[in-house]
Amino acid sequence: MTVTTNSTTANVDVKVNQKLKEAYFTASQGQLIWTRFKKQTAAMVGAGVLIALILAGIFAPFLTPYDPTIDGRNKDYVYGAPNVPSFCDSNGCSLRPFIYSYNRTRSIKTNFRWVTEVDTDARRYLTFLPEGDKYELLGMTFTTHLFGVDTGKIHLFGTDSTGKDIFSRTFHAINTSLAVGTIGVFIAFVLALIIGGISGYYGGWIDSALQMMTDTVRTIPAIPLFMALAAFMPDTWSSETRFLFISMILGFVGWPTLARRVRTHLLTERNQEYVLAAQLCGASAGHVIRRHLLPSFTSYIIVDLIISFPYMVLSETALSFIGLGLKDPVNSLGVMLQNVTDPDVLLNYQWHFIPVLFFITLVLAFVFVGDGLRDAADPYADTKK
Amino acid sequence: MQFFRFALTRAFLAIVTLIMVSLIVFSLMELVPGDCAERYLAFKSSQGGAITIADIDAERVRLGLDRPYMVRWGSWIVNAFQGEFGNSCILRVNIAQLLGDKFWISLWICLVSLLVAYMIAIPIGIISATSKSPWLNNSLRLVSYLGLALPNFLLALMIMLFSTVYFGDTLTGLFSKEFRDAAWSFERVMDFLSRAWLPVFILAWSATAFAIQTVRALMSDEVGKLYVTAAAARGVSGRRLLWRYPARHSLGPIINSLGFDLNRIFNELPIVALILTLTEAGSLLIEALALSNDQQLAGAIIFMLTASIVAINFVTDIILALTDPRVRRSILG
Repeated sequence: MTVTTNSTTANVDVKVNQKLKEAYFTASQGQLIWTRFKKQTAAMVGAGVLIALILAGIFAPFLTPYDPTIDGRNKDYVYGAPNVPSFCDSNGCSLRPFIYSYNRTRSIKTNFRWVTEVDTDARRYLTFLPEGDKYELLGMTFTTHLFGVDTGKIHLFGTDSTGKDIFSRTFHAINTSLAVGTIGVFIAFVLALIIGGISGYYGGWIDSALQMMTDTVRTIPAIPLFMALAAFMPDTWSSETRFLFISMILGFVGWPTLARRVRTHLLTERNQEYVLAAQLCGASAGHVIRRHLLPSFTSYIIVDLIISFPYMVLSETALSFIGLGLKDPVNSLGVMLQNVTDPDVLLNYQWHFIPVLFFITLVLAFVFVGDGLRDAADPYADTKK
Repeated sequence: MQFFRFALTRAFLAIVTLIMVSLIVFSLMELVPGDCAERYLAFKSSQGGAITIADIDAERVRLGLDRPYMVRWGSWIVNAFQGEFGNSCILRVNIAQLLGDKFWISLWICLVSLLVAYMIAIPIGIISATSKSPWLNNSLRLVSYLGLALPNFLLALMIMLFSTVYFGDTLTGLFSKEFRDAAWSFERVMDFLSRAWLPVFILAWSATAFAIQTVRALMSDEVGKLYVTAAAARGVSGRRLLWRYPARHSLGPIINSLGFDLNRIFNELPIVALILTLTEAGSLLIEALALSNDQQLAGAIIFMLTASIVAINFVTDIILALTDPRVRRSILG
């Protein structure tokens, strides 16, 4: 009796094993990478945070209560401290979170600095899905925001020197920084694919000449290059044009590293038998590159793209930080970081540092995901350890 | 003999690269709106003199700006190779005199940062690539990621804020007041060293993070290879095994990329210089490009920097050919 049950379970086991093996051997490259990626806790956490931040960036107008530009400013609450919602206080609890009212005074006694007194007796309750500033999302116009407050305005991260809501600005800034990064990475990627592809596939003197060109571009320090190009940008350009131009500059400067990698991959792959077979069948160079060589390292390219993303974001930040990148009406993380260098802000209004935390989280999330993907895309990762 | 031929080819290639770079730099400087003549006369008019279009044209002729583009580039590059960069557009001082030792100070700050970065990164990178402990690995990774995610300027700001509040000294600048314009002496060097550690630390911070990643990636590629297993089977073990086999191989590409590493560090110098109010080439560069549009000065600094990078690349190529038997064989046949 026991023997038979054992053998049936063993049979089932074998079948399950067989199925697993079958699944393993027939799995596509993507499925294999995903299976290995799932095993890495750090990378999975990074991916979760990253997706949350991307969604937060895309849906920023809905998630945040106010317009991030000067139109949405609260002129009665300049340099205002963050309002922290709470459920309970000495006057009892409430199911709806509330914030307190405040009185602001400025006189010779306070050295002409705004001093805020929180009035703990006057509660202001949070409201959900209130109507507010108009915004556009996915091509439609909405006025509903996720949350607001019944009287006055709520500033979760405080306000800046002109009374703009830092919470709203931060979320919109994530969106802008991601957009700059995406355009930059895309341009760099196309250039890298063309230049690296030609140089790796043909080799010989074409390779040497292109390599020399790549090295020349790599020799010029990027920030001075950015600065010279940005100095060329007339002041009269609108913030949208500047935004586009900056992203393009980032792309045009960032291609050499990617191009080198594409070239190295191609150089090793092009001597494989399957390429020779295709060539013997009379396939053209373009066909061989497109149909045979590119698929052989798509995963590496995706990984490289994700790894180069934070560098784009960092470059944009550095550029905006020295005042040559994006400027105030546009909200990018670099513009937000620029604010914290003001000694007054540094010593008195530390809530300007909150966007910095978002910035660090964003870069860290990208780096973790990129690293995890790199390990997952390496088919020999399991056998090595 | 063949080695000399190799060295000569490399030197020739380095000079060609430098000439190409100089063309790019020169063109970039042309992109900056306005030219030297306009800027000088604009300055003059701000001093109270009335100027006309004819004045600007006369100044252009005097500066040689009316000549064709390629001719101007030619004369610029010929002078540049002799270390002569003409006068600054705004300050009207000879650039060599204006820069003085500032460029060399900047270069040394960057080189020392690079050295510090690799002195930390090589042992840590090797440990992180070979250790089996996930805890050690993950914490090292987190530290090196923080180096990437926390931009230099933020780190500089935080250190400044901290030292202002707790020590009452902002730690800015490269010299104390009494040594700022003094001639080089022992005391001045000591004063310089007592302040230069901060920019070096800040620049080395992110450079180390980057270097650890590179060393770790190269090392983990090598440790799995068969020759390492073979060496281990012969009874070589521990540190001796790592140093004599995989480490030697994986450090080759690092030596090769030192020039580009220097480039990346110098990239960050202007921003750090801006915050720490350093008076060296990085801050001059940012002033020339972002504030005063001084093409001559900016061009000179970028050219000197790229020349240093090309020189370092040349030296590392030669060193690699001398030390790595594989490279040597591929050249000498």
